[in-house]
Amino acid sequence: MTTADNMPDPSIPSSSSAGSPVDSFRRRLTAQLSFDEDRFFLILAVFLGIFAGLAVVCFRITMEWARLYLLGSALTPSPLRAFLAPCLTGLVISVLIFTIFKGAAGSGLNQTKAALYISDGYIPIRTVIGKFITASLAIGSGHSLGPEDPSLQIGAGLASAAGTRLKLSRKKMRLLAPVGAAAGLAAAFNAPISAVLFVIEEVIGHWSAGILGAIVLSAVSSVVTMRLFLGAEPLFRIPSVGVIRWKELAAYAVLGILGGIASVVFSKLIGWLRPRLKATPLPLQFFYPAIAGLLIGLIAFAGFPQIMGAGYDFMDQAMHDQFTWQVLALLACLKILATTLSFTSGTPGGMFAPTLFIGAMLGGAVGTVEHIFFPALTGSVGTYALVGMGVLFAGFLRAPITSVFMALEVSGDYSIILPVLVANMFSYLISRRLQAVPILELITRHDGLSLPALEEKREEERLNVEDAMHPRPAIILDGTQSAPEAWPFVSHTAEPHFFVALRNQPPAQISYDELRHLVEAADTRALQNTEAIITVPHLHPDEDLEDALPLATRYPLIPVVNRADRSQILGVLDLADVMEAYRKSHYEFTDPL
Amino acid sequence: MNFLRRDFVVREPLLVAILVLIAVVFSTLTHAYTQAYDRRRNQLGQKWFAAANIALQQSRPDSAVDAFRTALLYDPKNWDYRLYLAEALTRAGHSKQALNYYESLWQLNPRSGIVNLNLARFAAQSGNVTDAERYFNGAIFGDWPENDAGHRREALLQLINFYLQRGDTGQAESQLIVLSANLPEDVVLRTKVADLFAQAGDYQRALNQYRLAFQIDPQYLPALAGAGKTAFQLGDYRAAETYLSRAAREDSAGADVRNLLAVTQAAASLDPFEHGLPQSEKIRRVLRAKEIATMRLDTCAQSTENPSPSPIVSLLEQEKKLKPSAKPGYLTQHPDQIDSLFEFSVAIEKQSQSLCDKLTPEDSALLALAGSPTSNEK
Repeated sequence: MTTADNMPDPSIPSSSSAGSPVDSFRRRLTAQLSFDEDRFFLILAVFLGIFAGLAVVCFRITMEWARLYLLGSALTPSPLRAFLAPCLTGLVISVLIFTIFKGAAGSGLNQTKAALYISDGYIPIRTVIGKFITASLAIGSGHSLGPEDPSLQIGAGLASAAGTRLKLSRKKMRLLAPVGAAAGLAAAFNAPISAVLFVIEEVIGHWSAGILGAIVLSAVSSVVTMRLFLGAEPLFRIPSVGVIRWKELAAYAVLGILGGIASVVFSKLIGWLRPRLKATPLPLQFFYPAIAGLLIGLIAFAGFPQIMGAGYDFMDQAMHDQFTWQVLALLACLKILATTLSFTSGTPGGMFAPTLFIGAMLGGAVGTVEHIFFPALTGSVGTYALVGMGVLFAGFLRAPITSVFMALEVSGDYSIILPVLVANMFSYLISRRLQAVPILELITRHDGLSLPALEEKREEERLNVEDAMHPRPAIILDGTQSAPEAWPFVSHTAEPHFFVALRNQPPAQISYDELRHLVEAADTRALQNTEAIITVPHLHPDEDLEDALPLATRYPLIPVVNRADRSQILGVLDLADVMEAYRKSHYEFTDPL
Repeated sequence: MNFLRRDFVVREPLLVAILVLIAVVFSTLTHAYTQAYDRRRNQLGQKWFAAANIALQQSRPDSAVDAFRTALLYDPKNWDYRLYLAEALTRAGHSKQALNYYESLWQLNPRSGIVNLNLARFAAQSGNVTDAERYFNGAIFGDWPENDAGHRREALLQLINFYLQRGDTGQAESQLIVLSANLPEDVVLRTKVADLFAQAGDYQRALNQYRLAFQIDPQYLPALAGAGKTAFQLGDYRAAETYLSRAAREDSAGADVRNLLAVTQAAASLDPFEHGLPQSEKIRRVLRAKEIATMRLDTCAQSTENPSPSPIVSLLEQEKKLKPSAKPGYLTQHPDQIDSLFEFSVAIEKQSQSLCDKLTPEDSALLALAGSPTSNEK
């Protein structure tokens, strides 16, 4: 693939045309109009947001059309439709993903991440079209999946297509996929901040200030575009949160504990079933979406059609106290089962909405029960349902930062922060304790891939200069001394270099040989006034060791100085120190014994 | 094509223009697609709304709730769908859900009269006085799509009923005074206000309203009956007799009107405190009252198997002692004993009321006379 980096620069004139005034003018004009990839990247991010927003609007409407035709226009489908639609549509989806759209299976989240790290963000346009069609059919027919993850992949795919068409550099192509992904997710969930954070946490896998601006621009422009067509109405009506008393936090902690357990059960079920299904012969896998659809149809037929599709309407009902706690708890359990079946069967569709559904039902159930036993609690069932969403998000998807901001962004009420923090903390800790590998990473491993995760990075111990430096040398010369005055202190040592302390300045360095030459020449000037001293870069104890490494390879000894008083040497660092620190760190990480 | 690609990377403005063009084309296509879907949604919303209304008319509120919810699925912002859903939920007995809907509607339009009125009803049911007053006032001063004066009056009437149920007659009366000053020429409404004045214990204003009511329709039975009852309460037995007699002439007059007429007639003939009554007539009435009370006492003593521990025994003894003074001649000579004798007769009626049943109209009249304002003034 030819990149812009490899293309001839039009601003460089050929030897034959150099020199004439016309050419000079042309050069200047071309320079003015020349393509600046960095500047254009931000403009492109806005356009990608618009395109992703438009695509998500079409995706959502197609999904709704599919639902109308497959499940009928009633709020709860008729038993016959509920029983047949997911199964028969599952067969059609299998035909599509096994013949035309081979890359369209799955949620789209891990595929986007894999594309980012394995193929420089390249996602074939066929996969985007396939995901659009198959996910619309799957969710519209009642498979227990959501539209957010496919939207994320559609956004990333459109960005990839644009980048390929514009022949952007490989570096920019890698940055473009998350930009499109954030735009797709933001438009699907109508929440730009949460989308940005989710993409950073789960797709990019590390904090990158360089790309943040472009991601935010694309997410905002996609949400604005989506709202232009579908309106600013939220996916569910959020009840007012009101003031939450500190005593009530215990109730939210209980919700956090139950949410953590539910997250683990959900993760374990997927983690157990998915590899087993993937290990079966391919012809058998063809029927899995249909079988999953049949089982979901059975659950709906048994009287629980609420578990079909994304379920936003029923989340709204749960938030407004329209179910008993028994029904809410049962719906949470059945949704775990239904989503496990749909997802592990390879049916295209995401886990974002089902996770929110389970959280809302669980939160609603816990809130209702707590109100029965403690009628004095002021938090509405809707507030518990909202916190429950965040709890599952933190516990199951292991995106704790996104979960807090999601609850905040969706409710628009700062009073929700404290209960969300308390509940999410319990959920996240329980989930981490009982499910060592996060579900998205587990799925990645099932697929035989190894992709970076933010949770791993969070746990990585960063090494600083202070972890590697050794104590300050015993001999530090005073810059006001002359060489003969300093010589008695150094003559008996075998050190090749000495630091020279300077007033209000970082220390300089002088070699043993240079000092000896000055003594032999009887140079009585102060050391700081001689040409023999050389300035060396300095470090601070809190600086990242990674940043110190290039310096350590160029200088034999680097002083580590106090930030408040640069003349004060706290220690010194050389290449051996850096290597030893890394060796020690790796040893501790791999063999704690 | 190579030339175009070269331009793509060297001319940023051109590239932006192309991106704008693509965005415009795709926006137009998306707009057409969303419009088609919106039309379908509207059709479905209307279809389900109609089905819900039919279910509501057929007294199938649960089906109506499902249908309204489905209608809302296709038009979530539709005010009417939400309002009707809240009403259907109320009728289906899902009060809490209905309340949630009304609250969300109130947040959208705090001036909506119908929403305020429904919220006021919920607050009144739960005994939340502050909220009830706030929402009733919201309904009284709020916006109504049609017949706003009628709806506001209805809201005010409900507020008055709320005060009366709580026993806050002062507040009820002050609101009634406001309401009665702005009533249209409507006999039913006027009578209703008069009834409420009577419930609030303001019989004089109630009687005035009844009089205004049958000025509009002199044959309106509830107004006549109400006026009769109110005049009776005020101790104006002659006026009460007149109103009740007119009411009793109507075929539709109930037994209660006729019974009250009998009591009123008895009270009118027994009232010793009637204005301008000669002394001899007063004595005659007091003696007649004594006679009725003694009969009541005897009947009561006979029907009671073992009267010894009962207060009847002491009343019988007192009656024996008073027998000599219960003579016209004695009372003419000792007019100060007239009232004592009447009070004794009333005491007998009061005591026997709790011990014996079956009051005759005369007994009831004596009891009424005991509590009448003229008697109390005496």
